[in-house]
Amino acid sequence: MTITSTPPTPANTRAVAQTSRWSQVLTTLLLYVVSISVALLIAGLLVSLTGASPWEAVQAIFQGSLSDAAALGLSLDKAAPLLIVAVGTCIATSAGLFSIGQEGQVVIGATVGAMVAIYLHGPGPLILVVTLMGAALGGAAWAAVAALLYYWRGVPVVISTLLLVYIAYQVVFYAVTQPWLLQESGQNVASPQSDIIRNDAWLPRIGEYPGLNFSSLVVIAVLLAVGARIVLNRTTWGFRLRMLGLNPKAARRAGVSAVLLGSLALMISGAFAGFLGGALLTGGSHRLQPGISENVGWDGLLVALVARNNPILAIPVAFFFGVLRAGGGFLASTGVPRYIVDVVTAILVLAIVFPPAYQYLRREIRARRLARALATGGAA
Amino acid sequence: MSTQPTGAPAHSAGAPASVELRGITKRYGSIVACDDVSLSVSRGEIHGLLGQNGAGKSTLVKILIGLAQRDAGEILLDGRSVEIPDPLAASTLGIAMVHQHFSLVNELSVWENVTLGEVGRPDAQRTRELVRSIGARYGLDVDPDARVEDLSTGERQRVEIIKCLRRDPSLLILDEPTSVLTLAESRELFTVLRRVAQDEGKTVILISHKLDEILTATDHVTIMRSGRVVAQRVTAETDERELAREMVGRELSKWVAASALGDLDALVDPSLSSDPAMLAPVEPIHEDEFPFRLRITDAYASRDGRPLLQGLSLDLRAGEILGLAGVEGNGQQALGDLLSSLIELDSGTVEMDDVVLPTGKPGAMHRAGIGVIPEDRHQSGCVLDMSVAENLVMSTVGSVARRGFVSRKAIRANAERLIEQFEISTPSPDTPMRQLSGGNQQKVVLARELSLNPKVLVAAYPTRGLDVGAIEYMTERLHDAANSGIAVLLISTELEEILTLSHHIAVIHRGAIVGQMRRVDVDAERLGLMMGGQEA
Amino acid sequence: MIESIALILASSLRLATPLMFAGLGEYMAEKAGMINISIEGMMLAGAFSAILGATVTGSPVLGLVFGILAGVLIAFVHATFSYRLTVNTYVIGLTLNLLVLGLTSFLLDALDLGSAQLSKFEIPLLSDLPIVGQAVFNQRWPAYLLWILIPAVWFVMYRTRWGLDMRAIGENPSAVDATGIDVLKRQRQGLLIAGAFAGLGGAYLSVAEVGLFNQNMTAARGYVVIAAVIFGGWTIKGTIAGCLLFGAADAMRLALPALGFTFNAQLLIASPYILALVAMVVFARRSRAPAAYGQPFVRGLA
Repeated sequence: MTITSTPPTPANTRAVAQTSRWSQVLTTLLLYVVSISVALLIAGLLVSLTGASPWEAVQAIFQGSLSDAAALGLSLDKAAPLLIVAVGTCIATSAGLFSIGQEGQVVIGATVGAMVAIYLHGPGPLILVVTLMGAALGGAAWAAVAALLYYWRGVPVVISTLLLVYIAYQVVFYAVTQPWLLQESGQNVASPQSDIIRNDAWLPRIGEYPGLNFSSLVVIAVLLAVGARIVLNRTTWGFRLRMLGLNPKAARRAGVSAVLLGSLALMISGAFAGFLGGALLTGGSHRLQPGISENVGWDGLLVALVARNNPILAIPVAFFFGVLRAGGGFLASTGVPRYIVDVVTAILVLAIVFPPAYQYLRREIRARRLARALATGGAA
Repeated sequence: MSTQPTGAPAHSAGAPASVELRGITKRYGSIVACDDVSLSVSRGEIHGLLGQNGAGKSTLVKILIGLAQRDAGEILLDGRSVEIPDPLAASTLGIAMVHQHFSLVNELSVWENVTLGEVGRPDAQRTRELVRSIGARYGLDVDPDARVEDLSTGERQRVEIIKCLRRDPSLLILDEPTSVLTLAESRELFTVLRRVAQDEGKTVILISHKLDEILTATDHVTIMRSGRVVAQRVTAETDERELAREMVGRELSKWVAASALGDLDALVDPSLSSDPAMLAPVEPIHEDEFPFRLRITDAYASRDGRPLLQGLSLDLRAGEILGLAGVEGNGQQALGDLLSSLIELDSGTVEMDDVVLPTGKPGAMHRAGIGVIPEDRHQSGCVLDMSVAENLVMSTVGSVARRGFVSRKAIRANAERLIEQFEISTPSPDTPMRQLSGGNQQKVVLARELSLNPKVLVAAYPTRGLDVGAIEYMTERLHDAANSGIAVLLISTELEEILTLSHHIAVIHRGAIVGQMRRVDVDAERLGLMMGGQEA
Repeated sequence: MIESIALILASSLRLATPLMFAGLGEYMAEKAGMINISIEGMMLAGAFSAILGATVTGSPVLGLVFGILAGVLIAFVHATFSYRLTVNTYVIGLTLNLLVLGLTSFLLDALDLGSAQLSKFEIPLLSDLPIVGQAVFNQRWPAYLLWILIPAVWFVMYRTRWGLDMRAIGENPSAVDATGIDVLKRQRQGLLIAGAFAGLGGAYLSVAEVGLFNQNMTAARGYVVIAAVIFGGWTIKGTIAGCLLFGAADAMRLALPALGFTFNAQLLIASPYILALVAMVVFARRSRAPAAYGQPFVRGLA
């Protein structure tokens, strides 16, 4: 019988720890490189399938998103909505609630916003503000349904928010096909949409054509991200929220009302999405259409995931996704279907979440294997 | 140190021991959990494994059932050296364990639970018959078609035992099996174990830290301390004093020792222990000396239609420790939850200094001056992923903030003060709570709750899972708290803990108080009867 | 009148068939505590691959097989990420749905897909029954597979060890882990089977029901299936009933205007989601969800 392990001295443990930390960082990096390369390789293969050259596709994306001031402005415009949804998601997730219904809250926000903007009379800037507030309230109310079902009957938030998205789609469609609601006025009504809202209630843009020009929503989005970070990390409210997310039982013992705070977090998340719906209305299409959200509700969720629920980290991630979205529009001119951007986005998300998860699994397996080895070693 | 068994296991020279461990050693980092442990159990024997929390009992058992791997040593079953790399291997070798916390699926029927984890098509009819026949053989009566959800705690344990016996193991291990049982149920369990060992010729290892249990139920006993075997005895030839001394290894304040060791008799009647140091330190309290602080009147509460509290009334005086004794699952948790504002009363009142408090309103009890050390402190008493400093201000974050913004400086100052005052050992206030030892986590919770200057302190199982040093610390702090005028409600299923600390003792059964007595008037028999639900 | 009832019935059943295939798989997954969001992607991938396979091989039957394999492939990716690497299952599910939607839309543009349709099979005598005859006994032949699959699923879940394991995992994964069963492995297996069923459902939609593939062909039918399982209170009977009901709602939407009725189409489209929510609220106490519903299994957490 032999004892297989010698007790390590402090000195050599430190040395071992240091080399292993270095090699760990290296493996992590390598893993990221490999998995992202694989993702890009798949994308390249898909592009070649259409007969186009992948390199040209990359160039097209670059041209559409970063090549000049106008393109950069477009990227920023595409990034801001994603960031706002992502920041709202971060707040709900901090409270331990996994909501995936932002898409629905966006369209409901836009619907409520359209009602306000079309039916309310008054000075333009005031209408704009009230429209955005109404949109935020609409999104919050839609999220409140999920909160109510969860705290009243225990319906999982994931399920209720998901189902509510598809109900919301129908609500919008209904609204823009009913003359007494929001249907476009006039004789020849072709597509389901509302009237254009008055142009003095449009969300202002910053900068001038043909130079750098982007929606003021970009500034608002960044402010919201920074604000959310400060609120979450520095305020008593954020402290309680994090406590609730990390350990609901302990939080309740410490006097946190899970129902109130959790519902509030969910509603704030909904308000962010709803506000965005209003912003898309007043700053984008200027009229309510069923497709107004352009899937930002879904993609914003992915931004929050990749940014690991950190609002500040969400800023660059949202920008990157915005670049892809902006470039995608330009891509069509090369004959590559623009859907390739959705594919690339999704496989990049998978490629980014893969390495840390893989390493975690490997550590687990190694620990288990070590245990087995020791078991057999003990008998040797 | 490897002690030769003094009261050597009495197996005949010819037959090899059913289980033999030779020089088992297990390290976790720098900590030696098991140090050269050797023991031997023969067939048909009930072997007690006695030791405090952290003595190495659980590690040893984990090695036996394949949940942990030894660093050195040898395991022999019937004289054959074996390897146990995982639980499956243990099961194949005929080793089965009844866990302290049941691993049953509530929504499935008894027979489905019994067959879970086996291979081949589940055969309802055969399994039902099996459950019945095992039940008849060992006196474990349970309906195979009942849903586990509908069973009592004692019945669930029977299912758990049937699950083990069904595989016809040669070695059955039980980990603190009586912590969830009434005294009567415990006695029944020991009868079953006796049959398992004597009539069926199986080997039983009973892990416990309760002396009286070891003395009544086992044939031989191995005592562990700090990872080593310090003594082995024939149960009939030893007594609690000797066991206690071996287990603790030093002279302690007698009451703490008695509590830690589960020496019930010594606690109830000091004269029995023939130890002159065993004198009651708990001064009787003169009833009218202190005012009533907390008064619960006729409290009823339920969850999903199941009653939790059924007319519970309780008075708590400033400056006294009231021990709430009872078998687990009789409403202790609900009472703790009530005083943490986690549940609402259907009827009845909670009053503090004659002011009625709203129930179930988050933070209301807290604001009224009730501090709580919850039973599952690392699950619901603290947030493991936040720092020690943050945990110390969890319920009072408003006091370290200005205009809604948290002051990191104030949090840190508060933490440094409490860390020093309560002797919390942590590398820094910013260390995540997760990295602290169980004892220190407990200290953080205690420090936080006492730092609020509460009028009432509820302590649920305050010494569970702690080593002797930490138990002494907690005992001292709770006495200090009472002396400073705080009304302390001690909730525990361990009579020893209650008898050690309390001035008054109340017994809870099925959500109501069935009896109350002064500590000095305690009569073990009566206490036991009341815990079993009999009015006495 | 009778004629239109027969027509609506036939169309209801036709629209419910893909849902029922996918629903059986989703039922099994949900019994093991999983909410399989990627079912939408599995169905869409199944629908696309079936037409692709039929175009490439020239055989709609092989197309059906392609569809099943596509569902399994999506399930494999999902299972690997969420039940091996333990990344949040909803996030992975949504990502996969976006991926499949993007990919099938892209490939639909990039490739030249044909059309292919499986033949109808009319069961003699029975198909002559009034009202139900044509609806039930004159369908594309894979629909009759349901008569085998429904009892098979029941048998697997309630009479085999695997089914027992799955049901137990949905209720108390930690206890199942303690008895030595690999919980995550069972969940991976469950997801793969759900993928096969969803792929079959999607394939039926394209290669049997419609005969070609459109962009975003499933159009959230996967979520309707989830709604059906919830609506059905996590029972096979209930799931099938839910699918039939939601199929009927779809049929009404198409048929009522033609019959001269005006009815709110949006309400009919939204009805599965609304009914699922209502079901979760109303039946919450009676037909309980698996205790570990939607919670990921983490070892060592009781």
